[in-house]
Amino acid sequence: MEEKLLGIKNNAISLILETKTVKELEEIRIQFLGRNGEITQLLKELPKIPKENRPKVGSLTNEVKNIIEDTIKTREATLNKTKSQNFYALDVSEPGIRPELGHLHLITQAIREITTIFTQIGFTRVRYPEIEWDWYAFTALNFPENHPARDDWETFFIKQNPDTKKGPVLLTPHTSSGQVREMEKNTLPIKMLNIAKTYRRQSDVSHTPMFHQFEGLVIGENIAISDLKGTLNYFVKSYFGKNRVSRIRPYHFQFTEPSFEVDISCGVCLGKGCRLCKEGWLELGGAGMVHPNVLKAGNVDPEKYTGFAFGWGVERVLMMKDGIKIDDLRTLYSNDLDFLKQF
Amino acid sequence: MNIKILDSWLREYLKTSATPKKIAEKLSLTSVSIERIENYKNDFVYDIEITTNRPDLMSVVGIAQEAATVLPQSGIDATFVKPKLDLPTIHPKKSPELTLKFDEKLVNRICAVIMEVKIVESPDFVKDRLDASGIRSLNNVIDITNYVMREIGHPTHVFDYDRLLNHTLIIRESKKGEKMRTLDEKEYTLSGGDIVADNGKGEIIDLISIMGTANSVVTNNTKRILFFIDNVEPTHIRKTSMEHGIRTEAAILNEKGINPESVNDALARGIELFQTLANGEIMSEIIDYYPNKPKEIMITLSEKKINDVVGINIPIQKSVAILTSLGFMVERQGETLIVTVPHRKSGEDMLIPEDLIEEIARVYGYDNIPDTLPASSSASYIHLDLNEFYWEDRIKDALKYWGFTEVYTYPMVSETMFEGPIEDAVTIQNPLTDDMVYMRRTLVPNLLQVAKENQDHEIIKIFELANIYEKNGKNLPKQNLKLAGLLKKPKASFLEMKGVIEQLLADLEIKNATFKPLTDRSGALVLIDKQELGVIEIFDDTIITFELDIALLLQQATRKKIYTPVSKYPSVIEDLAIIAPTTVQTGDLMDAIKKQNTLIRKVSLIDKYKETRTFHIVYQSYDKNLTDKEIGEIRKTILKTLKDKYYARLK
Repeated sequence: MEEKLLGIKNNAISLILETKTVKELEEIRIQFLGRNGEITQLLKELPKIPKENRPKVGSLTNEVKNIIEDTIKTREATLNKTKSQNFYALDVSEPGIRPELGHLHLITQAIREITTIFTQIGFTRVRYPEIEWDWYAFTALNFPENHPARDDWETFFIKQNPDTKKGPVLLTPHTSSGQVREMEKNTLPIKMLNIAKTYRRQSDVSHTPMFHQFEGLVIGENIAISDLKGTLNYFVKSYFGKNRVSRIRPYHFQFTEPSFEVDISCGVCLGKGCRLCKEGWLELGGAGMVHPNVLKAGNVDPEKYTGFAFGWGVERVLMMKDGIKIDDLRTLYSNDLDFLKQF
Repeated sequence: MNIKILDSWLREYLKTSATPKKIAEKLSLTSVSIERIENYKNDFVYDIEITTNRPDLMSVVGIAQEAATVLPQSGIDATFVKPKLDLPTIHPKKSPELTLKFDEKLVNRICAVIMEVKIVESPDFVKDRLDASGIRSLNNVIDITNYVMREIGHPTHVFDYDRLLNHTLIIRESKKGEKMRTLDEKEYTLSGGDIVADNGKGEIIDLISIMGTANSVVTNNTKRILFFIDNVEPTHIRKTSMEHGIRTEAAILNEKGINPESVNDALARGIELFQTLANGEIMSEIIDYYPNKPKEIMITLSEKKINDVVGINIPIQKSVAILTSLGFMVERQGETLIVTVPHRKSGEDMLIPEDLIEEIARVYGYDNIPDTLPASSSASYIHLDLNEFYWEDRIKDALKYWGFTEVYTYPMVSETMFEGPIEDAVTIQNPLTDDMVYMRRTLVPNLLQVAKENQDHEIIKIFELANIYEKNGKNLPKQNLKLAGLLKKPKASFLEMKGVIEQLLADLEIKNATFKPLTDRSGALVLIDKQELGVIEIFDDTIITFELDIALLLQQATRKKIYTPVSKYPSVIEDLAIIAPTTVQTGDLMDAIKKQNTLIRKVSLIDKYKETRTFHIVYQSYDKNLTDKEIGEIRKTILKTLKDKYYARLK
């Protein structure tokens, strides 16, 4: 009797698992659990068994019955699920239903990349006024009174009476106006990264009246030209890739001495020389060792401390990246959504 | 500025076997930047960029001396052939008369001499050299003035001596409204403060250091010239030249302040060329007025200082050799150098030890300096809670992932775009165009403008994070960062925009914000406690904007997260459909429900239809299973409060 029960159980389970449809499953249910089903028949034979064995066989029969019922239930759920999914109708080539996705402006993206690179080597990002005193933008930076950059046709001035000490109010023509502000915090050594909007009075394919610069300023003991070179190369390799190299050439700025022009090797010809570059090089921007007069203006002792600074256009490094192919800088600020949504 | 010079001209003063390409490469890395080499007949032209601080290098002779210094650093033979320029000793029998008066504040030095000349065409080598330099050949006399300028680096001028009325020149500042006609027959009205020469009758006969005038220049009939070299105050030159757009080579050079000592060389070279190319005969004494002589400059420089700034050890003998080759006079005292700056180099850019370190380092070769990273890290740190950049990134990212696209618009706006009384505007004194005059006081008009310019898009979601500006008495204008957004779509909903702000505040863990309707119901103020965070504005059926103050937002934002234990007991949920007058604010109903019992965890609105609002209420205890009876009690108090306060009832 017990062996018979186990045989029924195994047979039932294998038949249940082989079913393909709910209908087949129902047939199996009737075969085992129906009014004339195998289990029901067995239960009917129970009185023929010796009295002392009856409880044991009875509970075993019930157990088998339960197992068969559970297995049928599970199988039924599986079969129903398969049916509702309707695998044959799935078209994976149809467009997915996407969550909404906006776009950050290319300038924001570039600023983040630049910030990431410089903070990795210990720079701290700061922000200073966009509308600033002449003192911070020019005088403290060693610009003589009659320097061309102070002309009305290069820098925007604000209609406001000049301060007796700090001079006229203007729109910062460069992020260098943050240098002396940073020194005024009086915490040395300095490793500043100042990224901001800057303004100059010009508009053409390669200039917009508002643009962005990023300024690095490092001041400490024994800061040398070699440190400037290393920092520049670290940025160039991190931002443009390991194939690109930088070099410095003599140049002139009021607030640095010595001053340098920084070039990077052309990404198209990799330094061989082509139509897009000057003998294999592209100009990246200016840099130099902080002029002692600037240190003095920031109350830093030039006998004890030295420093370097660089200030480059965010737009410029962006345009120099491989493959961006924007031929008119003004496109960046046209705010054409078809343009902005490409990035 | 850029100058162009022919290779053959350079090699008159530079003896080297280096090819033009090599010369260009070496000069670019250590001195002036040679941007291009072009073919010219059987010769080459260098296109050279020279920085404004080095007018001493804006000449053939200047470049030759540089090349002779830097080429040997790379083992290339090169020597500088110094021009022999001695002024002739003259004893004219009877000098033609000349009256010269000037204001000493305007004039550093004037040299002049009267010569008899024969005007003919220039020889080919002069024509070619000028042509390659981008200067048009006119006749031998005019060409010589340009030739000397390019070769020696000091501009020079010639007058037709016989056309000068009374042979008088008075150099003075112009008065406002004075008129003159330049040699290219253009009429100018001066605004005053320009340096001019007057013939004693009030008639202008030269725009000094910039351009000659039609009434005094050399013509084909000229017999006698006044060769005239003026060195005057440079800022006057820049002002006049820029104001009238007269950008002659002479003006561009003179405005940079050329050392008056180089007038000698230009004078001697000019006389020599007039003699050889124009049958020149000296008729007068050489006039030399020199009211403002530059001081001699001596700079002391230590070996340690050089090495500290450069970052490697450069042997002191090497520094001495470099400076000497560049024309400096160097006296060594142990580890210290006492350097006298040659006159032609003295100017604003040769005053301090760092100026000399630049000369040494660049010639030594920047390529020979290794790359290092500065050892120290920044001494200042910023707690993340206070790091505006961290929060701005989070805010921008949130908006981006909710479908908003970031724009950058110009902060300078037109009068029509400016919001508020125009007399309060931070105003640009010298705007570039009429539509960029005022500094904006809100970002919203710019966003509306962007929406307008992108009309073809039915749905627009944009934002900007930027400064707005406000006058602040005698102080710098206030510059406050704002975050503004715009939603444009058919049937734009206020709640959609409110939801964006609610979610943004939730992400920044700001919990105490409230929304208060604007008096005309065209939107809402967003408040944190009593402070105004910003505003949501409904423009029409399709456009809704917001603007929030970043400073206040960041002041409230926090990284603090507080753990609330999760209850072990199940929650009970019920939906109550409440009928209330439509004038009753949903927020008030929700607040009233929530306040009834601490067992009410959450209240939300799930449906709104006419007078019926359906609220979803979650009850939960931390201590036990809630019974129907307990919930029934709470429900009773809810309904009583709603009835008493808002005339509301259960549907």
